[in-house]
Amino acid sequence: MVYATRKFTFSAAHRYWRDQWTREENARVFGHLTVVHGHNYTLEVTVRGPVDSRTGMVMDLGELKRLVGDAVIARFDHADLNQDSLFSSGNLPTTENLVRAMWDLLVPKIGGERLYRLRLWEDPTFHVEYFGG
Amino acid sequence: MSGLRLTRSYHFSAGHRLESPVVDAEENARIYGQCYRQHGHNYLLEVTVSGELDPETGMAADLGRVDAAVEATVLRRVDHYDLSATVAELQGVITTGENLARTFWQWLAPALPPGCLHRVTVIETANNVFEYCGEETERGARERR
Repeated sequence: MVYATRKFTFSAAHRYWRDQWTREENARVFGHLTVVHGHNYTLEVTVRGPVDSRTGMVMDLGELKRLVGDAVIARFDHADLNQDSLFSSGNLPTTENLVRAMWDLLVPKIGGERLYRLRLWEDPTFHVEYFGG
Repeated sequence: MSGLRLTRSYHFSAGHRLESPVVDAEENARIYGQCYRQHGHNYLLEVTVSGELDPETGMAADLGRVDAAVEATVLRRVDHYDLSATVAELQGVITTGENLARTFWQWLAPALPPGCLHRVTVIETANNVFEYCGEETERGARERR
């Protein structure tokens, strides 16, 4: 089993706000994150599998780039995450929720066996890893 | 557990030298080489926690609490100090990356919600990285939870 990781970058805006809560409650829990702001995100996608003896590859990284580009980067790059249908109905676009949403978008494309880990960096000081489940 | 692991990165600068009290100077110089001399690093510290996702906040940990715990239990004690001389809590500890990672874990774990600390990573230089995930017994208990 070999693990291969490809990095992607995208930039997006978001804010944390619950309509059900008062202004004071939102400010207490989310602080300055209630204001619309943005990040340069980095997404690391790790796939795993046996090395194909003909190509010497776990997966064609060009194919991986296309799949992630179509399913995730095209959707979220230079977008307002709060406007995405995945983040309506009270599902806030936190790094935790975003990485899980990306997992759900990528599993049908890459396959649950091959997709091993997503690591989403909101900025150089904070990242979340997700292994599914 | 939710399958989510959250990592925050911090930095601190500190002096140190590696010296074992149980061997003589010649042997220390042989074991530790240039690290036997007084020197220092711009350290990076990564703290990884895991937790249940709160559906209301979309968050699996309170990063403000993690920041406060790291500041109070680790950074305040080590930033701009000489780890091998002026940090009382490190007396008797040979300040290798291994020992620092394990010591920081011991300082930090009680300041965080039980079982949420997953890994402490001490990056001494870009080439030297030390990870500690707790003892096997702690890890087993954490994973069963």
